[in-house]
Amino acid sequence: MSDYVCPYCRLSSEAGSRTCPNCGAPADARELRDDEGWVEQPPIRDMARIQFGQSQCQIAGTYVPVAEMTLAPGEQVWFSHHALLWADPTTHLAARQMPKGWDRRMSGMPLFMMEASGPGHIAFSDNEAGEVIAVPLEAGQIIDVAVHRFLVATSTVSYDWFTPQVWWILGTGSEKEKFRPMGWAMDKFTAEQRGLLLLHARGNAFIRDLRKGEQIYVAPRAVVYMDHSVDMSIHMERPASPRAHWMLIPMVRLDGPGRVAIQSQYEFEPEAHYGWNELGPDGSWRNWNSDPSRWRPVVKEREPLYP
Amino acid sequence: MSCATCGAPLDVANAMSESGWRAAPRLREMAEFRVGNVTCQIAGQVVPVAEFTLADGEVIFFEQHTLLWKERTVALAGKNLNQRGQRTIAGMPHAVIEARGPGRIAVTRDASGEVVVLPLHPEVETDVRGHAFLAATQNVGYDFVKIDKLASMFHGGPGMYLDRFVAGQTQGLLLLHGYGNVFQRRLGVGEKILVEPGGFLYKDAPVTISPVPVQSGAGFRHANWAELTGPGRVGIQSMYVHRHIV
Repeated sequence: MSDYVCPYCRLSSEAGSRTCPNCGAPADARELRDDEGWVEQPPIRDMARIQFGQSQCQIAGTYVPVAEMTLAPGEQVWFSHHALLWADPTTHLAARQMPKGWDRRMSGMPLFMMEASGPGHIAFSDNEAGEVIAVPLEAGQIIDVAVHRFLVATSTVSYDWFTPQVWWILGTGSEKEKFRPMGWAMDKFTAEQRGLLLLHARGNAFIRDLRKGEQIYVAPRAVVYMDHSVDMSIHMERPASPRAHWMLIPMVRLDGPGRVAIQSQYEFEPEAHYGWNELGPDGSWRNWNSDPSRWRPVVKEREPLYP
Repeated sequence: MSCATCGAPLDVANAMSESGWRAAPRLREMAEFRVGNVTCQIAGQVVPVAEFTLADGEVIFFEQHTLLWKERTVALAGKNLNQRGQRTIAGMPHAVIEARGPGRIAVTRDASGEVVVLPLHPEVETDVRGHAFLAATQNVGYDFVKIDKLASMFHGGPGMYLDRFVAGQTQGLLLLHGYGNVFQRRLGVGEKILVEPGGFLYKDAPVTISPVPVQSGAGFRHANWAELTGPGRVGIQSMYVHRHIV
């Protein structure tokens, strides 16, 4: 009998369990939805279990949760080596070389991943306060994940990465400089068969479903993951100011349809930017200065905008 | 079940330690409260998010880097603060962002802790350590005060300046972010309390802050407490950078 559909992972399971067996989310918790439509992803309960294949994952801890896996013989997971917390001697570990090594090095991404094969126990954690998010993937499902959020995935989930077209260019000629507020790369996970993907969100995690054509503007580093159907573009906010010299606030514009998850702790883009010469594909901007004489959406010079 | 003005749960015991510190009310998930035509909702427990629903023309202000997300209809405007040169030297933000409704907008700070909701009554002044301010309604005046005495600046804990918030003619709303957990107590006239300088979070304006050398042992001879003298309310945070100077 499959009559419980988890509101977080969207997969069905048998009713009656306290937690969703697919993603570990509490099944008996009241949904916490704010007026805007963000749903707080409930933290996985301490010691909650998630089944994948013949193996099991147990989430332990609440501040910096640990994902402990009991791997069945022949079943594999893969991960970045810095996420490894402990492993028992029976678990077989091997390196997994990633393609496009030079590009990965340029992006600050690890050149190698590790694979763990059962039987055995192995555990993973990030080293920041936050939540583990379990994302079960159906065959063929694709999601895009912000870099450094990945914790571990089953071997049925394949991995690629891409450079998000969220950027702006300042300067021309030899002084041309490209800024990428979401970083050089995003991870792309595709389920070849049903699989499990674990991510780590800093602080609290919130998810929402964007309808087709619906838009939301988010701090770029706050994004954790999104369905592949969600489009992302650069958006520039220029606050109004009596002297019209205000810095730009780079944001990412997310266009539905699809699911989006954000985290409440994120890094702020610290650099001051006063203009741009070129925006990424479908880039948008909003200048809140009502005085047309101060309305200078595109800056041709690198100097700050002073009237 | 929660206070309509500050979101504090009303059905929990008034938790006060034997030494007089009261835990700042731990807001329930999605607690909602309202000041004027501004509605605020607090979401999350580890790094809480403050979401505002602004009626048409309603304004809140905050530091730029706390912006998490917003709707397109929310207009942003920059606002320079007074004496920006001094504030820049002191490592303080010299400008804030004003967000004008209608629409929704959310802010959060980049650290674990609590959101402290302080409804400000008219003409009441509150001093806050730097980098703890999260957001406030438009009718709250934002200025800063220089800490008296050079020794206080270097050894008092909060640095050279304290943020000062004053409500205008009507009640205002001030949100702070405290690292870790936040506790509060009310000092009587002349009553003193010594606080680890990094733990100081906010105080009523009549409360004075001054450095007092730590007396226990030669190893601590250059360390200072922040001495707070009443009358008034003081708030501390449990997670802080230790300011021990040896």
